[in-house]
Amino acid sequence: MFSSIEDVSDRFAEQKYIASRRIATVIYLASRLMKPILVEGAAGVGKTELAKVLAAALDYELIRLQCYEGLDESKALYEWEYAKQLLYSQILKDKIGEVLSGSRGLAEAVDQIAREDNVFFSERFILPRPLLRAITSERPVVLLVDEIDKADAEFEAFLLELLSDFQVTVPEIGTLRARSIPLVVLTSNNAREMSDALKRRCLHLYIDFPDHAQELAIVKLKAPEASHSLAEEVVTMVQSLRKIDLKKTPGISETIDWIKALTLLNLDTLEHQLVNDTLDTIVKYEADIRKAQEELKNHLRDLRSRRPPASGEDKDLLN
Amino acid sequence: MDDKLIEFANLMRDNGVRVSTAETLDAVAAAALIGFRDRDSFRAALRSTMVKRSRDLPAFEQLFEIYFSGLGEIIKQAGEAVRNEMAMTEREFQEFIEQVEKFLKEQGNELSDLARRLLENNSGELQRMIAAAAREIQLNRMERSLEQNHFAQALARALGLDRLQGEMRSLHDRLPPQEDDLASARMKEYFERRMKALDDIIRRYVRMQGEQREVRARASSQLDQVGDKSFFFLSQEELDRMNQAVTQLAQRLKSIVAVRRRHARRGRFDIKRTLRHNLQNGGVPFDLHFDRRRKDKPQVVMLCDVSDSVRNASRFMLQFVYSLQELYSRVRSFVFVAEIGEVTPLFRDRDLKEALDAALSGDIINVYSHSNFGSAFRAFAHEHLGAINRRTTVIILGDARNNYNLPHDWCLREIRQRAQRLIWLNPESRGTWGFGDSEMERYAVHCDTVEECRNLNQLYRVIDRLVPR
Repeated sequence: MFSSIEDVSDRFAEQKYIASRRIATVIYLASRLMKPILVEGAAGVGKTELAKVLAAALDYELIRLQCYEGLDESKALYEWEYAKQLLYSQILKDKIGEVLSGSRGLAEAVDQIAREDNVFFSERFILPRPLLRAITSERPVVLLVDEIDKADAEFEAFLLELLSDFQVTVPEIGTLRARSIPLVVLTSNNAREMSDALKRRCLHLYIDFPDHAQELAIVKLKAPEASHSLAEEVVTMVQSLRKIDLKKTPGISETIDWIKALTLLNLDTLEHQLVNDTLDTIVKYEADIRKAQEELKNHLRDLRSRRPPASGEDKDLLN
Repeated sequence: MDDKLIEFANLMRDNGVRVSTAETLDAVAAAALIGFRDRDSFRAALRSTMVKRSRDLPAFEQLFEIYFSGLGEIIKQAGEAVRNEMAMTEREFQEFIEQVEKFLKEQGNELSDLARRLLENNSGELQRMIAAAAREIQLNRMERSLEQNHFAQALARALGLDRLQGEMRSLHDRLPPQEDDLASARMKEYFERRMKALDDIIRRYVRMQGEQREVRARASSQLDQVGDKSFFFLSQEELDRMNQAVTQLAQRLKSIVAVRRRHARRGRFDIKRTLRHNLQNGGVPFDLHFDRRRKDKPQVVMLCDVSDSVRNASRFMLQFVYSLQELYSRVRSFVFVAEIGEVTPLFRDRDLKEALDAALSGDIINVYSHSNFGSAFRAFAHEHLGAINRRTTVIILGDARNNYNLPHDWCLREIRQRAQRLIWLNPESRGTWGFGDSEMERYAVHCDTVEECRNLNQLYRVIDRLVPR
């Protein structure tokens, strides 16, 4: 468990995650108050990563539940293993016959079977899904409920119940109580507004795109192989791309991918042709690429005017 | 501190941020855990416990600034100001304060707390005393800026400024005459400046409280207000917000449709078919059969008046149609003024902003002519009647101001006969229909529904009815 806010920042830094003061504070609060964190923000700002790093920093197991439309309890909580039950009953056919041999009449046989039926409805035949695994785990875990906004409203209500009591009732077995309270991280892309009830129970963390200095620090941490000048230029470029109206604004992960790609191509400054060719690592839509190219052109022109006049190789910068 | 947090929660509520009691309790617990020495962490703690919608974040930031930078900051600044006026470095000032403390001790215990704290530059205690006095006079009930003077005087009285002045005078007299002693001259100067500083603190504090009031009174939940405002009277900023709202609306629409589809996937148990199919199993119902409901895909044909008089409204309707077209395959959209032109492929191929600009710019039809509903309808009836079949919903958006041209309402009758339903949305208020050149009444006869649609909330209602259940 974290001892202070600084402790959070330090341990996150060890895991190569730069947590702002705000993020560190929320994480610290969540771990002390035992409250779930609802992380919101655009795609690619490191929401999922936050949960992974949290687990690593605490050396907890990370259990992940990916939400999608139509996700239901049997996929999220538990399911009976029908096949296994069937198999066992086949194998144990003789034994069952033995048990029943003494009985007279159908009614008595049914009674006898009924007395034994908890053999088949025991924890042995339960297939635990992420939620059940998270609360029955011996050691505390980090439970990541990813993209909760994709799940249906009914599932959200169900989750709410689980998050408030940390116990699950399986009709055939009884109530399973959490052995340790998991740290819960919910992420949302804001595809739909979450219910107020859920929000009320969570600490809310809104992660925005990092500013220039922060992003540069992140890039240096994640892609140490890139040269300083390239990192600087790429970050400036991406920051300006975020200001124009794109269908999908490039996230931090895209910046890192791009830098890695450019480094792989042995570049240490942005060059028009190669940048054009690799643009699809940061911009994902056809229409966006057009806009990005436009922006890129202006950007490179600015850059060139600021850069000390170089020799002939710069000539084809703008084709 | 708890009082302060609760008051802050109230302030947020007054500004349209929903903060529940449970959340306030969380904030109190969080604040106790974090403390308020580190301002950033404290802010983060409140932010994560009290603000749950990202659109409330700007309001929170603003209020936090106003509310918590408050008194402590003012007192600190006042102290700094005194130091600067006396032209001392921080160190010198520290030593000087120690001298003052020694002098005060020599004077014995007659001094009031206020005088002592003030002269000893004890900002924490001073802040506590002023805050207590403010509560005593119920400063938070000040409502108008006109009252600021009155409240400042009341606050000064509650603090005991009268007594303080007397004390200062007597301290002044007890100092040796200044010709003899430079130190006593400085001390006298310091007393005077301190008195002025306190006065200043009180005034600034009251003024700041006034500002908080004003923030409180300022427009609260803004989106809701925009909802009821007519399309015609929107400012640019509101237009932007409206855009956002329409996008949200489309998203909500998508999720409604998804849910309704899921519920509709399976029909009721079909006994007859189940029995028939299971005859081969000796009547044991292995294969179950259900009524399969026919998917009710909405086919929409949209006719949108884009003349100048309904410009704002049509922009939003087109935006809505655009989202609708993304959602369903069978939506066709037309724009008209006097001519009529189809914009379906335009909407399909381009992104929203470009498509809207193109539709309203005059590339498709001449948008600068005078509205002529009659000729537009006649052109539609001649050329595009094939677009309509018995499952089509036809939506017409327009004010029906026909400039006294021929109304050609028989076209509407034709459309109505072929379509499933015909809806007319009019951005004018109901009272003005039929007056002047409005042909609304004549057209209304042929429509299934005629709705007033002059603001977002009305649009919401219309849309909700459009989506098949």
